[in-house]
Amino acid sequence: MDHARLPFSRRDLLARSGLGIGWLAAGGILDAEARSEASLGRSPVVHSTLASRPPHFAAKARAVIHIFANGGPSHLDTFDPKPKLTEYAGREIPGALKTERRTGAAFPSPFPFRRHGESGLEVSDLFPSVARHVDRMLVVRSMHADVPNHEPSLMLMNCGDARLVRPAAGAWVTYGLGTENQNLPGFVAMCPGGYPIKGTENWRSAFLPGVFQGTYVDTKKKKVEDLVEYVRHPLLAADMQRRQVDLTAALDRQHLASRQHDPALEARLASMELAWRMQFEANEAFDVSREPKHVLDRYGDTPQGRQLLIARRLVERGVRYVQVWHGEGQPWDSHSDIEKNHRRLAGESDQPIGALLDDLVGLGLLDETLVLWGGEFGRTPTVELPNDAGVKSPTGRDHNHHGFTVWLAGGGVKGGTAYGATDEFGFKAVENPVHVHDLQATMLHLLGLDHTRLTFRHSGRDFRLTDVHGKVITDWIA
Amino acid sequence: MGAFLAVVCAPAAAASQEAEALFESRVRPLLVAKCQECHGPKIAEAGLRLDSRRAVLLGSDTGAVVVPGDAANSRLLAAVRHVKNLAMPPDTKLSDHEIAALEEWVNAGVPWTGPGGEDGGPLSREEEMVDRLREARSSHWAFTPPQKQRPPDLSTLDKLDPARLAAWNVSPIDRFVAAGLIAAELAPSPEAAPRDLFRRLHYTLTGLPPSAEEADAFVAGPTDDAYRAVVEKLLASRAHAEHWARHWLDLARYADTMGYAFAGQSPLYPFAWTYRDWVVQSLHDDLHYDRFVTLQLAADRLDPPVPREDLAALGFLTVGRTFLGNTHDIIDDRIDLVTRGLLGLTVACARCHDHKYEPISTADYYALHGVFASSEIPGELPVIGAPPPGPEAESFAAKLAELQADLAAHEEAVHIRALREAVAHAADYFYETARPAPRPDGRPPQLADGYELEQLLIDRLKRLVEKAQADHPVLGPWVAVKGLPDEKVSGTLAAIKPLNSLIETELTSTKPVTVRQVAETYGRLVARVAPEAAGGPAPQSDDPADLEVVRRLLGVEATPLIVPRSEAMRVAKRSEGEAHRKRQQAITKHQAESPGGPPRAMVLVDKKNPVDSHVLVRGNPGQPGPKIDRRLPDLLGGTTLDRASSGRLELAAAIVSPENPLTARVLVNWVWTHHFGRGLVATPGDLGLRGDPPANQQLLDDLACRFMDEGKWSLRWLHREIILSRTWRQSAALRSDLTARDAENLLWGRAERRRLSWEGWRDSLLVAAGTLDPERDGGPGINPLDIAAMNSRTVYARLDRQDVPGLLRTFDIANPDTAVHVRPRTTVPQQGLAVMNAPLVVEAAKRLAVRTATEVGDDTADDPRITALWRDALARNPSDSERTLARSWLIESRSQRPTEGFGPWERLAQAVLGTAEFQWID
Repeated sequence: MDHARLPFSRRDLLARSGLGIGWLAAGGILDAEARSEASLGRSPVVHSTLASRPPHFAAKARAVIHIFANGGPSHLDTFDPKPKLTEYAGREIPGALKTERRTGAAFPSPFPFRRHGESGLEVSDLFPSVARHVDRMLVVRSMHADVPNHEPSLMLMNCGDARLVRPAAGAWVTYGLGTENQNLPGFVAMCPGGYPIKGTENWRSAFLPGVFQGTYVDTKKKKVEDLVEYVRHPLLAADMQRRQVDLTAALDRQHLASRQHDPALEARLASMELAWRMQFEANEAFDVSREPKHVLDRYGDTPQGRQLLIARRLVERGVRYVQVWHGEGQPWDSHSDIEKNHRRLAGESDQPIGALLDDLVGLGLLDETLVLWGGEFGRTPTVELPNDAGVKSPTGRDHNHHGFTVWLAGGGVKGGTAYGATDEFGFKAVENPVHVHDLQATMLHLLGLDHTRLTFRHSGRDFRLTDVHGKVITDWIA
Repeated sequence: MGAFLAVVCAPAAAASQEAEALFESRVRPLLVAKCQECHGPKIAEAGLRLDSRRAVLLGSDTGAVVVPGDAANSRLLAAVRHVKNLAMPPDTKLSDHEIAALEEWVNAGVPWTGPGGEDGGPLSREEEMVDRLREARSSHWAFTPPQKQRPPDLSTLDKLDPARLAAWNVSPIDRFVAAGLIAAELAPSPEAAPRDLFRRLHYTLTGLPPSAEEADAFVAGPTDDAYRAVVEKLLASRAHAEHWARHWLDLARYADTMGYAFAGQSPLYPFAWTYRDWVVQSLHDDLHYDRFVTLQLAADRLDPPVPREDLAALGFLTVGRTFLGNTHDIIDDRIDLVTRGLLGLTVACARCHDHKYEPISTADYYALHGVFASSEIPGELPVIGAPPPGPEAESFAAKLAELQADLAAHEEAVHIRALREAVAHAADYFYETARPAPRPDGRPPQLADGYELEQLLIDRLKRLVEKAQADHPVLGPWVAVKGLPDEKVSGTLAAIKPLNSLIETELTSTKPVTVRQVAETYGRLVARVAPEAAGGPAPQSDDPADLEVVRRLLGVEATPLIVPRSEAMRVAKRSEGEAHRKRQQAITKHQAESPGGPPRAMVLVDKKNPVDSHVLVRGNPGQPGPKIDRRLPDLLGGTTLDRASSGRLELAAAIVSPENPLTARVLVNWVWTHHFGRGLVATPGDLGLRGDPPANQQLLDDLACRFMDEGKWSLRWLHREIILSRTWRQSAALRSDLTARDAENLLWGRAERRRLSWEGWRDSLLVAAGTLDPERDGGPGINPLDIAAMNSRTVYARLDRQDVPGLLRTFDIANPDTAVHVRPRTTVPQQGLAVMNAPLVVEAAKRLAVRTATEVGDDTADDPRITALWRDALARNPSDSERTLARSWLIESRSQRPTEGFGPWERLAQAVLGTAEFQWID
């Protein structure tokens, strides 16, 4: 009764399905069926399936794992050391910028920074496991966004526009490249315990066909059938369901024969067979209990450990774009008690991120997998003052979109490098500032996509992830 | 302005040979090498071209870039010097030498010799738009009104056999289509088999399958008369209105939520369903399309006023996304809905710049922007029906009164708190008008006791003080000293004789010597006249007349520090605001969800004072350009709209005018699209220059004209024209000659097989399961994935645009954020997963199995029940081979281990519900 194990060999399956090897190429058939307002008529070819497609030019990376520290992690306490804050501790910062809420004096980081690796890049003690990989990391210290509010900044980071309804980067990438494993979704968004702020908008496909929408997985759940929707029959065991699917296929073949083998119906028959197979692949991919104990121990039996391990398993199996959110709501939003809260949050994620990077290196996957870590913005170098929004004591930092840090690893980026800089207090990106659009343009570039050519015709014009913005930062590429 | 000056003073500057040498040897090569790649004829970034003198002087979208003769004030120089945010060229800065050349050139008056000189170069934007409009009007098929066409007489073509000629040479649609096929040496397909045709007819008109009995009856006598009778019966059915309402709701980007809501805010539109129900009822009544559209744009403006139920029509404009409250985005959504949705014109592209392709300017866009900027959603939505009868209505009203009283009490408490604190800090407010505290972070100052001054009150007090002169009876002393250093305060006060005894008494008794102390004096004065609720008044022994003067100046509502009750929430603390929102939401929730409340319409009404909008340069609200009168787009004549109202009614009239070249074509094409799966114009939301040309323009134009003239805009007339045509009745069988010569079926030589929509599929499951209640109609929406809601058609689902279930997206439901004329149609394995595993399907299979058992009664043989199963699910008897297959499958299944609650019959039922035939229409 082990439903999760495929009860037939691949050859059996092909024979039983009556389709022979042909169905393996069904991606192509399905593609031809795409019809939408955008794709009809003169418009350029529009992909509507997940069949793998060549990039615009040779790619450095073939997959993305985006670890989203949602809520806005403090760059000043993690990857962007500012000794000047200690010097000015308790004093006003000259030229402080306007903050979203009222902030006061300079607030030095409670966490010591140390140099790591051959590059000697400084990382705070919050991320010891991540720091082991510093020579593989490109630390971008000069990110900036548009506004200090979560909602628009999440939209900007994920969809390239703060307000309007635009597809997420993961949807654009799967639209552009398809995915390598037809039995799994091409774009997976994991978040334990519920949705982050802005919910499913963060992984929406908007005007792109629905198949490119991120598949949401609540990684607080442990059982596979709770993780992925419709992946298992609620009542039938696999062998009995196979008989049922075979009967449907037999009836369908009679139907098809009386209808000149209409390709549209052929495609439907093939897609049912693909669906059957997806059940097992998904069960297998999301089931971390299949990993040996020493691997599980390295990641830890926590939501973060589980979901980062799933991320690795998905990328191993050819999933194109995996987003790993820290948690429901906006966990990294440390307006107060930043020392306690950031320590806890980093404590939850540091070890599994380190393990993920270890595994990607060990499996030889890091070269072709782009790992991106960051939030929607950073935090202020000044302390947030008590207010009636719940901050009781001056122990945290407010939102800061003027300057923050993300890091990338693998996927063809230059490791052991710090790119750009904020001012001496860490308020604002001043050296080589990188807008979110530039990050997105460069990410697409690493995937072999020209951000100006990855377009979709909608409402009378061609849309793209970076709209009319974005600059590829060639300095990042190894 | 710079550009204008330049034209006047240019020729003199251009003359000298020196200038020519400068331009030709140093400037032109530089412009060619470093600038024109992005600022040339192919790409004009920011609307700027640098390939002719005229273009340089015209500047960019944001205005002039050079002031000839004045390099120091020319933005071009600032850009190449990288002094501000704008740094050009973006990658490599020009050398000092190159910058010097540009500086010299601009200071010399922008001389330009040779190609690109005085006469060459682009037109101004306005000139260019006039040209484009003229050109597009004369050349583009859809920009002149459709003309009635003479359909070809097929008998003269002599290609069809007599029987087919007789059938096909009647309807204009058929005559156009057949003539097209004959011209391509093809012939129409035969009529679909009666059972297939009957099933297709039911789905296209009602979205539901026929019963096996109905199908049998038709197949027994499939005459033209029988066909017509079925068409009439279906057109008159409520199911028909429900099905086509769903198509319209796609176009209206209908959903039941506003999209993302901030924490604590409810995203629900509690009465969106009244719009959905209005659409169903209007289609059921065959409300003619011109009226149908007019009500949806301006039901509130009609004279005589419409019955209140019709106000629900305005939900068309208001059920869209709210973009976190961003007005410009909300208006943009409405402009796109009206122009692309109803006119097939992509006007919204002109929000940031003149349309790149269509003759639509930003002025056209902001002319419509004003229409919607002059309209608003009222604070309380109008009740459009009686509450349901019974005790529920009473308890509803009682609870509502309670919640409203709670809200009022909260506002009262906030008001009193804000008043007390403002009065207690009146001195600080006065002091702030004299010596504003530094604002390093741009915020109003926070005092030592934690109180943050309210900007609103600061501004009001400032205005009062600024208006007063030094001889003001009350404020005079303050006006006199507020700008002085402290050491001059007492001297100055001594020289002033205030006219009001209250301030005089205060000053004499306290003898202030600093500005701060004078402010405190005024603070006490405020406390003496403030309302009781705010801590005043102190025991009085004042001159009543003087007291009254001070009271009217500083102590009654609407004086600077005494906010009126109605403005209490403007000076609320964040936590008070949140508590207020919670109470408001409780009211909304109660009105929406508690039984017993009356239905309301999601109306849009005109603002008291209609406004014109400014062009927003590059769509940026921070960069207002010229103000534009509310008017129609120039493409539609440019007529100015009513000045006294928003102009929505005139806009509606212009849209449904027979003179409008687009409206009828868009609608006819839209109906055609849904009947055939593909439009005569394949881009039904874009009939502009960039859209596809019609596959058969004569047919489209003729049908559009006849829809208006003969059909009087009746949708039912249009359905009949299409459904009764031979073209629509053709078989979907593939034909090798058609595949070879018209693979895309652009000539309509056959029908096309289609997968059921999400709604069609779910509704069909409910029909097979026997759970659909034909009497169940509108009201608040149901959850379509809920097993308990299997009595309701899918059109009655509540859709959260923020969280569209993956299953619905997988089956290509319309994106609820934009007007959708035709949905994408994909075949992906995720659909297969749902067919195999979704609880909805499993439940339907169980019910279907039970239903068949009931139908066969005591007969325990397999064959009758197999037949019943086929008839319930597929509206036909099984073939012999199917029956044999099912029988042996059942026998084998019985030998397998049992599955609780899902025996062989249930499994067989699911297998049949999972077939392509169940989910596809021939």
